[in-house]
Amino acid sequence: MKKKKYWYKLDNAGKVFPAVSKDDRSNVFRLSFYLDEVVDPIILEEAVNKVLPRFETLAVQLKNGLFWNYFSSNHRHFVVDVEPAELCKYFKPMNNHGFLFKVYYLENKVTLETFHALTDGAGALHFLKSIVFHYFKLRGIKISHDGDILSEKPYSKKESEDNFVTNYDKEKRRNLTEEKAYHLEGEHFSHHWVLLLKAKVDTKSLINLVKTKYHATITQFITALLAYSIYRETNDFIGNKKPLKIFVPVNLRPYFDSVTLRNFSLYIKATYDSKKTGWTFEEMLDLTKEQFVDQLDKDKLQSRISTLVGYEKNIFIRILPLFLKSIAFKIGYNVLGESISSCSISNLGIISFPSEWEHKILDVDFVNAGYGLAMTLISLHSFTNIILSTPLKDLSIINHVLSFLVDEGLEITLDTNYKEGYDEIL
Amino acid sequence: MKYCKSCKVHYDTTLEHCMLCNGELEEIDNTVSTYKFSEIKKRSNSRFFYRFFFFINIISALISIYLDYSANGFPLTWSWVVAINNLYVIVMFIILAVPTIWTSKLTKVLITTVMLVLLIGLAIRDYYWAIDYVLPIVVATNILLITILIITNKKKWYDYFASLIIITVIGLIPGLLNLLHLTHEPLPSFICFVYALITLTGIIFLPSKSSREEFKRRFHV
Repeated sequence: MKKKKYWYKLDNAGKVFPAVSKDDRSNVFRLSFYLDEVVDPIILEEAVNKVLPRFETLAVQLKNGLFWNYFSSNHRHFVVDVEPAELCKYFKPMNNHGFLFKVYYLENKVTLETFHALTDGAGALHFLKSIVFHYFKLRGIKISHDGDILSEKPYSKKESEDNFVTNYDKEKRRNLTEEKAYHLEGEHFSHHWVLLLKAKVDTKSLINLVKTKYHATITQFITALLAYSIYRETNDFIGNKKPLKIFVPVNLRPYFDSVTLRNFSLYIKATYDSKKTGWTFEEMLDLTKEQFVDQLDKDKLQSRISTLVGYEKNIFIRILPLFLKSIAFKIGYNVLGESISSCSISNLGIISFPSEWEHKILDVDFVNAGYGLAMTLISLHSFTNIILSTPLKDLSIINHVLSFLVDEGLEITLDTNYKEGYDEIL
Repeated sequence: MKYCKSCKVHYDTTLEHCMLCNGELEEIDNTVSTYKFSEIKKRSNSRFFYRFFFFINIISALISIYLDYSANGFPLTWSWVVAINNLYVIVMFIILAVPTIWTSKLTKVLITTVMLVLLIGLAIRDYYWAIDYVLPIVVATNILLITILIITNKKKWYDYFASLIIITVIGLIPGLLNLLHLTHEPLPSFICFVYALITLTGIIFLPSKSSREEFKRRFHV
């Protein structure tokens, strides 16, 4: 039987987010499903509240302890809202009945925006799939879950496990030093608005291009393409003292046999020297492949997990009162956190639904609004959405990425949250 | 669906011009594309008013200190009172603007107000009334209020727990002031100290299973 009252320590990845999040650094990511019908908000709210008790790690509120924040059970009613104009908008949990995620609706779209302290993309995906499954059921549509919907499976304690801690090995700790990275600078949109550009491509054509011509994976190819576009389109990268560093989150669950719904991902990074001139795309891709292969090693990943967990196990850090930790996190994040990465790419992979109602999901979005430029990839049915989001007004890098794909023979359909006339507002 | 001839990309949105080259988009079929996001509305920059509010208060404090210094030199007199009040208004604004549970807000407001009174007492070089009466009475009242809340609203007692712990620990300070002979009238401070001590002892030594759990959560290292 599940407990009614429960609490969790924040996981290693989540510990820093409550202290450092603000309007222009929300640490919120978005997942949206476009249904084949207009969403009924009353039924959607009912579906969320029906599903929520099953997801113990999401039905929580953030509390302050003397030394650390923690998650405490939250049994309040959840209220859905109309989707706001801002992507991945920072929200105060206090104004959301204490919950650390938002569920929005707009026409035929259901959107889940989740604070990263709570879970990562894999955890949020399970939750949104369960919400939509229950939404259809409450609408009276007879559908089955085919064992693919988590809310229909019995609860397992393993889902609530902090796998950073369970995979901690004191002996595998090592010194992690990070040099600062090149940053994309430029004029920002006002009101913390983030531009989204979604490029829809045929998955088969993309795989064909990536596998046969470049002998790479999609993530390797896209990472190299972004690096090459930055190299080509910026005039301050070459000669800059700092290298270009693209961070790519890796889902650690397959590596460590985990089913946790809490954060369990770690960044690997692709680094490109700014002193070298005359880069070609092929060179950048070869370097990317090399770095990915090197870093995607279970032992190396565990070593990094152990190092990161090792920091929080340090007795001096542990006994520091929370308000001092928060100040330290803020300073540390400003000095190190943002400065060590240039941009990020996150690939959520292929999203599958039970075959009976797969056709009812028309499209999906996955957005990770970061500083500089963030790229996300998500595939559904026969297409892949390559989503670029940026708070910067300069579109030259995005332009280069898309032109490159077009020149490689891919057919692209663009969608965006930009509208003519927005220049006057933003 | 629209198409940009020069960029060779399709558009499934309501744009008339290509985002990449600004060229005019061509209609290529009769499929109606829609805008799939919420529209952003023009809005005023509310941050300006916050900043202006802070700015006015800081300027008010600085001008007062300057005028006081120009007229009387050191030590400053009335300008401290103005500056302390300006600071108080800023802190109160922040406390009230940050969303949190109201017991926490109330505790913060009371502590800030007691600090204001103490600082004004120090500024006018007559702080005994603040230490002797205001501090112990306000703190003891706050402890009583939160205790009543916890007893009457048992379901949410853990929400008030942090405020109770903080205010009870603060409640021990008047006793310390008595010990250091910093008070003229020791009775209110003594009563506040004893009341805080009883409450704190109660919290520590009369724990139910759930309050033990709450302790574990709040103090986990």
